[in-house]
Amino acid sequence: MNRYRIAEILTGIDRRIIYLSILLATIIPFLVGFPQPIYVSKESRDLYNWVENIRDGSTILLTFDYYPSTLAEVEPMSRAAIKHCWRKDMKLICMTTVPLGGPSITERVMNDMATNWAVEELGAKKIYGVDYINLGYKPDYKAVLMGMGTSFRDIYPTDFRSVPLDSFPITKNVDKYSDVNFLYIISDNGIVDEWVTIANRQFGIPLGAGVTAVMAPKFYSYLQSQQMVGLLGGMRGAAEYEKLIGSEGMATLFMGPQSLVHLMIIFFILLGNTAYFLGGRKV
Amino acid sequence: MHDLLSKRLPMMLAFFAGMVIIVAFFSGHPTLTNFRSNMQVWVSIIGGFTLLLGVVSITSVNYRRVRKLEKDWPYKLILLISLVVSGGFGIFQGTEAGTVYDWLFQNMSAPMMSSMFAMLAFFIASAAYRAFRARTVEATILLVVAMIVMLGRVPIGQVIYHRLPEITEWIMNYPNLAVQRGIIIGAALGAASMSIRIILGIERTYMGR
Repeated sequence: MNRYRIAEILTGIDRRIIYLSILLATIIPFLVGFPQPIYVSKESRDLYNWVENIRDGSTILLTFDYYPSTLAEVEPMSRAAIKHCWRKDMKLICMTTVPLGGPSITERVMNDMATNWAVEELGAKKIYGVDYINLGYKPDYKAVLMGMGTSFRDIYPTDFRSVPLDSFPITKNVDKYSDVNFLYIISDNGIVDEWVTIANRQFGIPLGAGVTAVMAPKFYSYLQSQQMVGLLGGMRGAAEYEKLIGSEGMATLFMGPQSLVHLMIIFFILLGNTAYFLGGRKV
Repeated sequence: MHDLLSKRLPMMLAFFAGMVIIVAFFSGHPTLTNFRSNMQVWVSIIGGFTLLLGVVSITSVNYRRVRKLEKDWPYKLILLISLVVSGGFGIFQGTEAGTVYDWLFQNMSAPMMSSMFAMLAFFIASAAYRAFRARTVEATILLVVAMIVMLGRVPIGQVIYHRLPEITEWIMNYPNLAVQRGIIIGAALGAASMSIRIILGIERTYMGR
């Protein structure tokens, strides 16, 4: 068999075989387990340390700026962030700039954490309006971000359930960025740029972000310029944060499939290039 | 009169709105700051109406196609039914946990969107196999760096070579950062110049011109 024939075979792999390989690489680690050591990057550690150094009981603005399509990648970040903050008895003011599903995701995750995780881990439920609140969504994110610098109540006179903010203890003394201690962004879109340019640069609130892996490279510049205190990049960032808070969850579990799928993709790239070098332009 | 309403008035409004925001930000004058704050609330309200406009638009376009039984009309009918059902329950019953809207969202919309996104992994693998070739020096560098980062960003990379995560961090912090910063500065300058053009009435595409 000459090299052109080998190259032809290598380039002729049916796409269904590739799909099946990816499917198996995703499923098998769930079935048999695939534990691996988690290396904690500097940007994840910096974010953890910053939150750790905030005084217990402080108020944090936590965003759920993601669509349902990226739930698997970013929801573990939200959960890890909530665990960390509630272990320090912090108050969480939650909001979203995403109209499609943002408020519902916020509601589901917060209710689940407040009623299930908090009882198991902290021994008591977290109370809506006292320990956390869901402000929901308002249209035009730039106006929302700018307006919140002057008054939260101008933009959000009521919470997600249409109850006036003044009736909740958690928001009694909170009305602008300067009244919260930290902005914790979990996002799957370009809103992070706006948070940095508006909330951090114009109003001075320190912020950290958890973003999808595909977005993370863009935000390293904000880390170096210290406009962002730390960054969680993709599911691996979430797994690192879970390791830092000592609570391994979904992200750590998902590292197995992700590792194998990455290996599989690299394998197919190498296969394609081997064919290319063997067959040249003839194949 | 027509020229005033269709051209001059929108330009004057754009100039006024843009200048107020800029002057209020740099001057910090309380009256202007207060006015700016009000304007931001107006923008949010206008944003709400644009959502309504979107619903009206999608309904009229799809209704017309269903009525004429045009190509793929059953899908458009499903879209309209979904819009009416989820929208109706959302408006009349609310969107909080436990409502029908919330059930529809958590059990239908979210899984469907997640599935669409999950399929990317399959397409990326297939596309990378067919198209990601080391044809030139630049493509080879990109390919090698991409493979290092792909491995370095997952725990198995550390198992294969213990310094791979550090190498990945270096790539992200230096070569990647240099490029990203250039893009960000370029985009910011572009946005600033576009804003100035809109405020001064040079750029009028927002008026449909």
